[in-house]
Amino acid sequence: MTLKEVAEILEAEVLTGHDKLDEIVVERVAAADMMSDVLAFSQPKILLITGLNTPQVPRTVSIVDGVGAVIVRKNMVPQTTIDLAKALGIPLLHSRLSMFEACGRLYQKGLKPVDSLS
Amino acid sequence: MTLLAETLVVNGLAEDFIAGLKQIIEHLKVKDIMNQDPQTLTPEKSLWHAKELMRLKKISGVPVVDDKGKLVGIVSIEDIIIALEKGYIRDPIEKHMSRNVIYLKPDESVQTAIEYFERYGYGRFPVVDEIKRVVGVITKEDILRGLLKWFSVVYTHDERRNNVLESEYYYRSLITGEPLDKKGADFAFEIDYSDVNLAGVGAAKLKKFLTDKGLPPDVVRRVSIATYEAETNVVIHSGSHGIIYCFLSDSSVKVRVEDYGKGIEDVELAMQEGYSAAPDYVRELGFGAGMGLANMKRFSDKMMIVSEVGKGVIVEMLFYLDREEGSKATQNP
Repeated sequence: MTLKEVAEILEAEVLTGHDKLDEIVVERVAAADMMSDVLAFSQPKILLITGLNTPQVPRTVSIVDGVGAVIVRKNMVPQTTIDLAKALGIPLLHSRLSMFEACGRLYQKGLKPVDSLS
Repeated sequence: MTLLAETLVVNGLAEDFIAGLKQIIEHLKVKDIMNQDPQTLTPEKSLWHAKELMRLKKISGVPVVDDKGKLVGIVSIEDIIIALEKGYIRDPIEKHMSRNVIYLKPDESVQTAIEYFERYGYGRFPVVDEIKRVVGVITKEDILRGLLKWFSVVYTHDERRNNVLESEYYYRSLITGEPLDKKGADFAFEIDYSDVNLAGVGAAKLKKFLTDKGLPPDVVRRVSIATYEAETNVVIHSGSHGIIYCFLSDSSVKVRVEDYGKGIEDVELAMQEGYSAAPDYVRELGFGAGMGLANMKRFSDKMMIVSEVGKGVIVEMLFYLDREEGSKATQNP
């Protein structure tokens, strides 16, 4: 599934990475609010769904070699977060859905979790 | 002579001490230590109003200003006591305030302020700019607090640095014991602990550096994640600056993160997954779940941590470029 399709399914606003939406393919998704969890259990090429909206979101995605991040539920995303995502080349989406619904919709469309959490 | 002064004289340090003290007081300006957001009142308000403001804000005097914020008088707790005694507490302030106000300027030295307190015996002085607008208030308490703050800044900075510098670990690798030439590090980054949003900037820079060096993506990723956690720890816990060093060899990447901060009381406890000493605001950033040290251990092949309370933390991590080769090497030395 492309990132563009993800944005459509989640009714998300695209904050950064408009030019890459069609080329980036998402297969696996991780959802967490704790960035340390993401660091611990992630694998490369994941899409991150999170309720955080701080600059730590794009920075963490960049460190773990993720393909992008969806910020859910928050009313707004601070400009500092958007600017950093832009600088790091991380596509950032913003959806008003709850974390549960965002995950549910993507799971239903066949996206997979990260490999066993060992 | 006080005990402190006596000790200093014995050590021949008294002159240095007094010279240092004088230098601090000379450099410290009124604007550095004044209350920059003072309460003020306008002349038509009642003395009763002034009394309530003093009671609620726990202050002993309030500058009176006109509609442009310019100083026209001052009302003190003594004025209030007399007003209560004589029964005119409902009168407007302008009827009874002191009009001949002694004030200070923001750029005057703290030394001048101290002289003013001695000479005039007031508990506070308004601070005004060149067109007499009130920009602050200074009390004796502000001076005391300001000096103590300056002392502690000077003190902790020197003390902590020396403690780490004198430690035997400082110039040696914690893991291999070999001498370290930090000036020869392949990568160095000074951690800015003042803004929590900057946590991770060093790790991101290191990641780019290692990628540009052509290291395998898997190694780069492990190093970056572990360094990110170490850097975040410095920002959250140390309350002090720190440095990330990275040393490259043919078979491994070594990362060393040092800080001059508070240190860790019980390293074993801190290593446990889920144990956290992080304040709540850190959790809003997605950290502080007690994963930091555990994550560093998980992603590195060897990790050593040395710390003592008040003396900072040194974390050293080794990452083998080839994990299997690396573990063989340790099993069969």
